[in-house]
Amino acid sequence: MTRNAEGALIVAAALMAAFGVALVNIAGQESIGDDVALTFFVMITAFGALHAAVRRWAPRGTPYLIPLAALLASVGLSEIYRLNREMASLQKWWILIGAGLGILTLWGLSSVGTQILRRYRYIMLLLAMVLLLLPLLPQQWPLPIRGLAVNGSRLWVSLNLGFIEMRFQPGEIVKLLIVAFLASFLAERQAALTMRTRKVGPFEFPEPRQMIPILVAWFASFGVMVYQRDLGASLLLFSAFIAMMYAATGRNTYLVVGGGLFTVGAVAAWSAFSHVQTRLEAWLAPFDNYETTGYQISNGIFAMASGSLSGTGLGLGRPSLIAFAPTDFIFAAVGEELGLVGSVLILAMYALIISVGMGIALRSRDLFRKLLAAGLTFTFGLQSLLIIGGIVRLFPLTGITLPFMSYGGSSLVANFVLIAMLIRISHEERV
Amino acid sequence: MTEFILALLKLIFIALLFLFVWQIARAIGSHLGGFERRTKSKPGSEIVFVRSDNQSGLDFTVDDVVVVGRSDQADIYLDDSYASEFHLRFSSIDGGLVLQDLGSTNGTYVNGRRIGSPVGLSKGDAVQVGKTVMEVR
Repeated sequence: MTRNAEGALIVAAALMAAFGVALVNIAGQESIGDDVALTFFVMITAFGALHAAVRRWAPRGTPYLIPLAALLASVGLSEIYRLNREMASLQKWWILIGAGLGILTLWGLSSVGTQILRRYRYIMLLLAMVLLLLPLLPQQWPLPIRGLAVNGSRLWVSLNLGFIEMRFQPGEIVKLLIVAFLASFLAERQAALTMRTRKVGPFEFPEPRQMIPILVAWFASFGVMVYQRDLGASLLLFSAFIAMMYAATGRNTYLVVGGGLFTVGAVAAWSAFSHVQTRLEAWLAPFDNYETTGYQISNGIFAMASGSLSGTGLGLGRPSLIAFAPTDFIFAAVGEELGLVGSVLILAMYALIISVGMGIALRSRDLFRKLLAAGLTFTFGLQSLLIIGGIVRLFPLTGITLPFMSYGGSSLVANFVLIAMLIRISHEERV
Repeated sequence: MTEFILALLKLIFIALLFLFVWQIARAIGSHLGGFERRTKSKPGSEIVFVRSDNQSGLDFTVDDVVVVGRSDQADIYLDDSYASEFHLRFSSIDGGLVLQDLGSTNGTYVNGRRIGSPVGLSKGDAVQVGKTVMEVR
């Protein structure tokens, strides 16, 4: 596919966003006007500028990712507009800011390349640690930057500059920093980690001290869960680590050890924390706990069921009955209004993004870039899988966002940066 | 009547989504197909970094042409201060592996001997650039 075809698809995605908003207006018997034009303008500005930046700084980059991201954002934005007008106009700003940071990423990597991430790995690790601990800052103290507790989780940071208060979730950016650190760390250690010296039954183990990083990662992700009460982020961090160890070495041992540690951690978390028990209860028996913990999941299922095959049509269902629909349950809202067909198309878009990302990783010749692409794609894919799986009751629900579709600034921004990094890697590797 | 129009618009929206996804899926499919054919016809040689400050263990295969150097424009980035921007080139020619120095400042050594003109490599040969040693596997 050529760059021009990519540009054409971006225009098509922006038109889809405008069409979606127009459908919501028609359904609500309002006049079609400003919002349609504004949505088209925002989408074409954000993704068009990103496209131009790719032409300028990563001309050999893969052309598939931006149109797919744009279409996901279009469907997400139409559905958010339908649910909450105020959130939709904020989301437009976040799309613009996210695209801006994506462009900044492409520009920043244009002179030195992704190798700069390889060199400064410990600075990135330090930055990740600091960002991860930011939400634990006191909620009331003299400095303008404070921790914030939202719905029982300590994930948010509030930055009050006097004239404006900004809230963000540093966890989303931490994910990217940790993946880049691990890619650099593992690319260097690959030989030692692949070597096997001990054999226990069918499993061959490397030197025991090579297992130390796994244990450190396990304790760190457990810490995130205990202190910030964030199941999703801790699961995501630990899985990304194991997946990248496996990608770097090709040794099943790491999957077995990782799976074992995960089981121990999950059982320990279940017996120790009430919020984990609540999640599990809501997953196993949402209708028995309809009035309390199962309310959100039950309503998500009702919504998708009433959507049936082709949905009620945008603006014609009642997805606002679901709690936190624009953030956590956007997939259920889309399932109601676009039906099974629409939901499967959304899944196909995620599958395509993941296959393009993994294709870049498979065809990369440099180990660092290979691991970076694999790690970024893995976290993106796992995040989509976990939240969609949580909504359709495949897994217990973890409160994470659906990339590019959910309302939420930190998540959007982080995913724009992630896509920009993947494009840069494919540019450097010419794949 | 309105209901009919709304249902029609809904189906048009979904059909457009499908068309979009189908277009991209088809393009990706043909891209991947081309890749498979290329690797099948030319089994490449593998090069492994056996000694390096930061890149030990890095490996890559040469199935066509691979340029190694300190520039990010090179196919394989070489983290060695003695390396030139575009230091050397591995090419796969008729199943054999050929190494050419691209006019580097500090030269390229094969099994300890500095090379002037392109040389053919065989398995086990050690290629040295600055402090980095790569081996043909």
